[in-house]
Amino acid sequence: MTAKAGVGGSGWSTSAAWVDLDGDGFLDLVVLRYVEWDFDDIWCGEHKEGYRAYCHPDYFKPARPLVYHNNGDGTFTEVAEKLGLSKPAKDLGVAPADYDRDGHIDLFFANDSMVEHLYHNKGEGSFEEVGLVSEVAVDIDGRTYAGMGVDFAGYNNDGWPDIIVTDLANQRYALYQNNGDRTFSYASTPSGLAGMTLAHSGWGVRLFDCDNDGWKDLLVAQGHDLDTIEQTNPNLRYREPMLLARNTGKGFVDVSQSSGEIFNQSWVARGLAIGDLDNDGRLDAVVTTNDGPAYVLRNETPSANHWLLLRLVGHKSNRDAIGASVKLVTERGQQFATVSTASSYLSSGDKRVHFGIGKASSVESIEIRWPSGTVQTLKNIPGDQVLQIDEPVAPANAKPAVK
Amino acid sequence: MMRESGSARSGMLCGAVVLLLLVPSICAPQTDSEYARGIAAFRAGDYASAADLFAKAEMAAPGTTDALIYQAKSHIHLQNFSSSESALRRYIALHTDSHEALYLLGFVLHRENKASESLEIYTKAAALKTPTGEDFKIVGLDYVLLNDYANAIKWLAKAVELEPKNKDAWYYLGRAYYSKSLLRESRRAFLTVLDLDPRDAKAENSLGLILESEAKPDEAMEAYRKAMEWQAGGAHRSEQPYLNLGNLLLELDRTGEAIAPLEEAAQLAPDNGSCHLKLGTAYLRANRLLEAQRELEKAKQLEPENAAIHYQLARVYKQTRQMDKAKIEFQWTEELQSRAARTRPSDPPEP
Repeated sequence: MTAKAGVGGSGWSTSAAWVDLDGDGFLDLVVLRYVEWDFDDIWCGEHKEGYRAYCHPDYFKPARPLVYHNNGDGTFTEVAEKLGLSKPAKDLGVAPADYDRDGHIDLFFANDSMVEHLYHNKGEGSFEEVGLVSEVAVDIDGRTYAGMGVDFAGYNNDGWPDIIVTDLANQRYALYQNNGDRTFSYASTPSGLAGMTLAHSGWGVRLFDCDNDGWKDLLVAQGHDLDTIEQTNPNLRYREPMLLARNTGKGFVDVSQSSGEIFNQSWVARGLAIGDLDNDGRLDAVVTTNDGPAYVLRNETPSANHWLLLRLVGHKSNRDAIGASVKLVTERGQQFATVSTASSYLSSGDKRVHFGIGKASSVESIEIRWPSGTVQTLKNIPGDQVLQIDEPVAPANAKPAVK
Repeated sequence: MMRESGSARSGMLCGAVVLLLLVPSICAPQTDSEYARGIAAFRAGDYASAADLFAKAEMAAPGTTDALIYQAKSHIHLQNFSSSESALRRYIALHTDSHEALYLLGFVLHRENKASESLEIYTKAAALKTPTGEDFKIVGLDYVLLNDYANAIKWLAKAVELEPKNKDAWYYLGRAYYSKSLLRESRRAFLTVLDLDPRDAKAENSLGLILESEAKPDEAMEAYRKAMEWQAGGAHRSEQPYLNLGNLLLELDRTGEAIAPLEEAAQLAPDNGSCHLKLGTAYLRANRLLEAQRELEKAKQLEPENAAIHYQLARVYKQTRQMDKAKIEFQWTEELQSRAARTRPSDPPEP
């Protein structure tokens, strides 16, 4: 099937994203690759028993991503070069969002120990890389870092998607706040994230509303990449607990210690996917670990807050509605989200769009900008339900689904 | 002497190796000749005259005295290492078994950043006479220049084993451990320096770096402040504790407090690009854009290959609506970052 479809690829592939890059209604496939590597191994770390370690990525050449255009007949054609998405990099994480709200989905690639890449969709079937001029390629001091996981979602409810990138200890996770003018501001320190993450190494990462209060919180899978790290840096840990940071609306606060016994367990966590596994309106998580089991973190947050889960079905747009932008308005303000299964690190999540709506039991309006360009608005929607919304062919409609 | 891996997270190393060459050590005829006048000038600290007189003495009686050795030592005092190397090579050509000349040449080559050649000469010298702790220290520093910290640690450890009170050797050993992220060992070495000299500002500054690495910012700041205090009033104050303190305050988003130490650092080391970069960054964060531009342009002049400088300068230009200049600086940032990503590190992994 893979070979027949033409998506076999090669090399050291990492994260992948399904996204309709050219708006033809078919999902294309973006496959990141890490570095050029083979079994002609090299030794890194101390030449002592138990000290051999992973080599720094600087020892390897970057690889270019693979982008498969969906031909609509079950086959794909590799078009990275043609689309301008072929910069060699040490890509680990990918997340899509329309960061300049021009109606075209853009892509962020988290890169390890080199500049991060933000690909702006020019809307003519091609992309340009704008990481540096948009000020998301490096940290506030102009330094590169070990970019690994990424999420591309608004954390401050201003309607402009922000970016969070996880990295290694002593680097601080990078939070870039979207200024709404195609530039970003490095917000790790003012948001409280810098101090919270200095000594930690993060991989999978998601911004999601854990307690349904209307603000997207932060969950990070953690653990250093070097199993020898404690021998050389006693203050760092190879195995680390997960990080849960609550978004207060003004910044993030580490609430891991008060969020359940699971946050006292130390893992070499890597992958992280979010989804409402039991359809109770509280988003759950699945975490993978190196040399360990996968964990399902069931969200049991006691809360009287209300919620809404949207299952979008495209008809003119791709059926999964990936790339659709959703604006939700309640009496307390606005929230925004993009339909996607991609983001985090080597993981895919629930494609349904979740909103916590706090004390509001219903939503004043929902506006959906479908990838086809169609804009659909729904009014006065009750909360606490899983709602299926079909893309209108004409006229607009919405069909409630059974919770 | 030791190469720094980070621009701001640095200790105090440059120019710290001093060879004591005050007293001539090779017997020679004490006549009222150029040679004798050279000795007198050397003892009086007039090294330029001494070098000239020893050159004439050698010319008058080639190969019969150790004038070339003194000439070389005079040039070392004058920091003229290439002339010193030349004199020593001439002497060694005539006196192949002179361990003193070989050890001296090893040191001179080290000061010329010719680490591999220096090591080769030290190996020859060691075959004639057992090295001292000081010699092992220079050998260790040669390996630092070669980015081979494992061997640097080996030889610096030998140096302190032979000379447990060699403060400089302990300090460099601490720096080598720090470069390998061996923080416990590094701390032990710096504490030994402080046992030998309780107000050693370099060691205290380096302890600050370790504390910073251990996520103990308050203790790190205290160490930097102590280092600043201990070197206050000295003839040669180092910019490093000021730079490290300012950098840490920037990291903690305490920009207002960071500016004063960074201004002091830039004043103490006007040719240090890192100082101007950090000060420019602080001004940028404080929205003092004209001052930021001035400092970052100075930094660029000093370190044109530093991508972070181009990036910060691009941000300043962008904020001051100098878009063409901003574009050029962003392009430079990208070019330099790509170049760095394409270049494998020089510390070779061994099979």
